[in-house]
Parts: sequence; structure tokens; C-alpha cells
Amino acid sequence: MSRHMERRSFLKATGVTLAGAGLTAAGCGGGSGSSGGTVTIRYAWWGADDRAKKINETIALFEKKHPKIKVKTDFQQYADFWKKFNTQAAGGNPPDVFQNAIGFLRKYDAKRVLLDLSPQADKGNLDLRNFRAGLEKFGEVDGKLLGIPVGSNSMGYVIDEKVYEKAGVSPEPGWTWDDWRNGLVAIHDKGGTSGDSGAYGVMYLYDLILRQQGKAFFTEKDLGFTESELAAYWDEALKGVKSGLYADQKKVEQVKPKSALAAGLAGGEFTWDNFTARYSAEGKSSYAIAPIPTLDGKRTGQYLGSLMLSGSARTKHPAEVATFINFMVHDPEAGRIMGYDRGVLSTTEQYEAFQPTDPVSKKIAAYEQQIADAGVLEPITPHPAGADIVEAAFLRIAGDMALGKASAADSAKQFFTEAKTALGA
Amino acid sequence: MRQAGTSPDGDAPGPAPRPAGRLRPKRDGLIGYLFMSPWIAGFLLLTAGPMAASLYFAFTEYNLFDSPKWIGLDNFTEMLDDPRWRTSVEVTAKYVVIGTPIKLLLALGVAMLLAQSRRGQGFYRAAFYAPSLVGASVSVAIVWRALFSDDAVVDRTQSLFGMDVGGWIGDPTWVLYSLVALTVWQFGAPMVIFLAGLKQVPRELYEAAEVDGAGPWRRFWNITLPMISPVMFFNVLLETIHSFQIFGSAYVVSNSTCGPADATLVYTCYLYQQGFENSRMGFASAMAWMLLIAVGLVTAVLFWSQRRWVHYEEAAR
Repeated sequence: MSRHMERRSFLKATGVTLAGAGLTAAGCGGGSGSSGGTVTIRYAWWGADDRAKKINETIALFEKKHPKIKVKTDFQQYADFWKKFNTQAAGGNPPDVFQNAIGFLRKYDAKRVLLDLSPQADKGNLDLRNFRAGLEKFGEVDGKLLGIPVGSNSMGYVIDEKVYEKAGVSPEPGWTWDDWRNGLVAIHDKGGTSGDSGAYGVMYLYDLILRQQGKAFFTEKDLGFTESELAAYWDEALKGVKSGLYADQKKVEQVKPKSALAAGLAGGEFTWDNFTARYSAEGKSSYAIAPIPTLDGKRTGQYLGSLMLSGSARTKHPAEVATFINFMVHDPEAGRIMGYDRGVLSTTEQYEAFQPTDPVSKKIAAYEQQIADAGVLEPITPHPAGADIVEAAFLRIAGDMALGKASAADSAKQFFTEAKTALGA
Repeated sequence: MRQAGTSPDGDAPGPAPRPAGRLRPKRDGLIGYLFMSPWIAGFLLLTAGPMAASLYFAFTEYNLFDSPKWIGLDNFTEMLDDPRWRTSVEVTAKYVVIGTPIKLLLALGVAMLLAQSRRGQGFYRAAFYAPSLVGASVSVAIVWRALFSDDAVVDRTQSLFGMDVGGWIGDPTWVLYSLVALTVWQFGAPMVIFLAGLKQVPRELYEAAEVDGAGPWRRFWNITLPMISPVMFFNVLLETIHSFQIFGSAYVVSNSTCGPADATLVYTCYLYQQGFENSRMGFASAMAWMLLIAVGLVTAVLFWSQRRWVHYEEAAR
């Protein structure tokens, strides 16, 4: 299909210009430089329909401003996206440009799939100025620039405002894990519902808890915690499940892909702050972002995370890929269309262009402003190759445990076995 | 059609059709192969080639990106030590052992009801067969997920009878039975085959038995069952092999997790996870060959057992 399209536009282009020599080499689309031919690049991302709509709008705008570059798109849900991408990349046919995340950077760098964008930045096809809070460094691995952030987000505690108000619990910055747990008890006692969806299988949350203790989920090549530490953490979680402080996992399982919070099964959920937008669309209640609980009333362990755009190392059109990424992160109009769908916009041009008017976007902006002002943000810690498999195993094994399949100790043991395999591979 | 069938010889002077005799020139064989060549090419390129490759990968560590590394039997020994692999074997065995007999019994029962002439039988046959046509599709699996979810139709109906199980989809002990129900619901294909078999049983046998005073149960046991046993054998074989290969419904009903708690981790689902999620194509290939061997063994056992219970009519009627 793509070859067909390219052939057509290629023929059209050659019809206008000279049917010159040297074009014969460009059998797979027009030459990327001076020949005047149209170039088609493939762009893939994951997300829901709502994101697809916004992205298509930005692409229409891009094609209008860069008539010689056509963009073909492809999208799936998160898990399916990476299965397809993996297969395409292995077959030597990955999309030219695609959405990426930190957990995949080293993995695909090791497999030589990712395009180093720094030469393109040197050539002026990609502008690295005006990124907020040093975000332009986010996709750097061993001196190579492998991804450009499209937005920034941070973990937060998204709560159902009605549930929390009813129980008389009001989370404040600097609240401790004890305060948080007392809140869950209050919610359970007064409302009979669970106060939390039970995110003890979410790698990023455990990472924050470890970071509050001066550790991290990963070291450069290994796990940054011990089996007994994890067993203790999960043991406590299991008690929470049994006492009803956490939502019933059987029900959580059935409402997927909807979140437990939006489905009304829980009063709160640890997740990325930009998910508030999605939950507000899914759920019936009103949602707010509460601060991350702490151990010492101060350190939250938070950092800015981000979705990125990366290029394929095998692309025939690196310049066009860089031009496209540049447009997506800098163009004010594109920023206005995307809003905070993939986090708070990463460059000042886009950040200033998009003035959130809806209450949810305002809450996300205010939350990020608050954590930036509070100075709790720290640098991100490593995500070695294999991090994606470890993340999936962590989630799955915690879920199995909560459904009563194994004890906390056995689950921790199982996780360590699988993680060692994934990180060793 | 007649032209193609009767004058295959290009050298024949004129189109004079030869009588369809026994003597055919050897060249016919060549032409036969020529007509078969698209299939042969497809078989070699799309089936035999990949199979040979996968046999090789089964003895390697292969992550799709780096070239395969020969590790001998390590994949197979790792498999036997892997608790999740054992879970997948158990889940699949349970699915086959529970699902296949129920499906076949239902197919036979309904076939016997529909074998009798009655008004609207065409409609009923079509209605019972229809799920087999649409059953394999992803959309039906999505519908299934919706039916068996918490507070959905099945859950509510159960509650009416005082059974508070909750939705089946989120419950590790129940979710596999929703998959069994899905395959049983698609009993139409074996039913049609049973119907054909039942129609072949000569009526005289029943009449003679009736004269001798045999009741309905005895007629079924002593006439129907032995007479349709070859058809039965065919259905058992086909459905068993088919059941071993369950993937789509487990994958979709579990929302692509093969869970909860690995309760729907059927063999192919684990194979898929290893291959496409963990990029362990060598291990996945080894798993695939183990499945082939297992299905081969089960098939051999079934063939061996047929001497005891399948009756072929020797005398020409």
C-alpha cells in the first residue's frame, strides 16, 4: 500500500519536474532532498480514539505547511502497539517516526532501531531550544538523542472528589503514607467503598516509594531493591485487599480497559497526572489530583516523565522525520490542538499557545505548577533494556497475588526470577 | 468444464473428445502438477519453509534482532522447569477435557432431534449451525466478555437463582468455563456431521429391532451408536485437535492478558506472550513443536483406541 502511494506521488512529481537521470535509484519514493519529489513517512502511536482525532488534525496542518511530506498513520492500544512495533522493527520495516516511552529507549537502542537525532539538530532540521525544565535531555542515552518529548507528566494521586469529601479526607502536600492509609480507613468505614484501586502492581508507584528511601526501582542494569523488601510491600498490599481498603480485584479486572476509579470501584488511583483527562471523560464523578504521600512529609520521589517521538534508524528520510518531530513539538497551533493529551506541552511555544479552559486541563496545569514550585522534582533514574518486560511481569504477578493465587513471598520470588531473565537477556 | 476434463492432451489433433477411459497418457500427471503448482509453491513458501525455520529456532535463543544462538535443548528443559508453562498445559488440558465432550454430546443430542422430519427443520438446522459460522470471530469473543462480566446478563440471571458468583470474567475459578461455554455454543459444525451420519443409518435396522421389542434406549445403544461410530470418531478427532489450538477467544475474553491470575493462559496464549511480548522466538518455536508433538500423540492414541469402539461396515450394501 505505502509503496503504491509513494509510487503514485512519485510519478506525479516526476511528471512536473524533469524525468532526470539519477531518479531511477529512488524506486521506493522520491529522493529526500532537492529532487522536488514528495516523501511519505509513516507515523505510529498508541492511544485511544480521542488522541487519534487530535493527531489527525495536527497531521492535516503539517501537510498543509509542508506539502512535500505526506504522513501515513497507524495506531493501536498500548500493549498491541509494542507487539506490532517489535515485529515490524525485527523485519526491518518499522514506522519512520513513532511515539516512544522511557522504558523502551535502551531496549531498542541496543537493537539499533532508534535514529540518533543529534545530527539533524546540528543541521537545523530540529530545534532543541525552548524546552521546559531541561526536557530536551530526556531522550538522551549515552550521548545519543533518541527521543524528543512531546509533553511532560508526573505521577499523582487522582481522587474521586465526592468520595473524599464525604469521608472528610483532604489530602495536602506533604501528607504521609500513614495519613493516606488513615484516609482509606475513613472512606471504608463511612462510605463502605474502597479508597484505592490498588496500584501495588504499578512499577512507577513502587519506584516513587523506593526513591523516597533514596533507592530506585532499577540500577543501571539490575533491580534496585531486594526480594524481601518487595515481599513486605506486597504483604501489606494483600492485607489491604483482604480488608477492603483496596478495590475488589475481580471487579477491577472486569471493567478493563476502563479504570477502577472511573468505574466507581475506588476512591483514588496512583497514575500519571494527564490521565485525569481520560478518567473525567470515562467516569461520572468529578476528579482531582492529590499530591503523592511521603515518608518524611517532604520527599515525594517524583520526576517528570514523558512521551517522546523517536525516529527509525532505517528511515530513508531522516531530514523529513526531524522536520515532522520539530513541527509536532514546536508549532503553537499543533500544541493548541493536542492540549494536555500527552502531558503538559514540552516547549514554551506550545505551552504558552495552549491556555486550558476546561477545568480538568486547568487542574493538571495547576498540579504540575505546584510540584515544580515545591521543588520536589528530582532527576529520572535509569530504565535498563528489558524494563518493559519487567514492568509487565510486576503488574501481572501483583494481580495474580491479589486474586489469591499466591502469597506475597512467593509472588516476590516469582517476580525476581522473571526479572532476572528479562534483564539478563 | 467438460472441455477441460476430457481433452487434456494439447497434442491431440482437434478437440475430438476421448471417451473417459482408463488409459491416460503420462503427460496428464505433468499437467496435474502444473495446476497444483500454486498450491505447491504456497505450501513450500508459507508452510514447509516456516516450519523448517521454526524447527531450527526451537534449538536457539532468538530475539528477532540478533542472529539466532544455538543452545541445544535448553529451551525444552527450561520449559519443563517453568511454572507458567506448566500452568498453560494444565489450563489447556482442562479446556480440552471439559469442553470437547460436552460440545460433542450436545451436537449429537441436537442432531438426533433434528434428524426427524418435522415442520421448520430447515430453520432449526440453520439456527443451530449459525454460531459455528460466526463463532470464531473476535466480535463474538467481545460479546462473550460483555455477557459474562460483573453485573451483566449471566451474573444477573445467576443472582435470580441465588447464586452469587459475580461476573465470570474477573474470577480465576470461573473464567475458563466462560471459554468452555463459548466453544460448546459452537456445536453446529459437528452437529451437521452427526446429522449426515444419522441419515445413513438404514431404517430397516430400527424396524427389525422394534419388531424384536427393543425400546428407544436400546435402539440408540445397539444400533445408532455403532452405526455412527466412524462419524463420531471423526468428530472427536477434529474437535480435540481444534480445542488444543484455542487462542482467539482466550486472548480477547481476557483483554489480551490471558488472565486473571493466568486462569485463561492457554498454551498458545503463553506461546504468543513469549514470542511477541518477550521477543523470545526460540522459546516460542520450541513451545510450538511441543504442541505439535502433544497433539500428534493424542491423535495416535485416538487412532489406536478406535479398534475398540469404531465399527466400519465391512459388507457392501
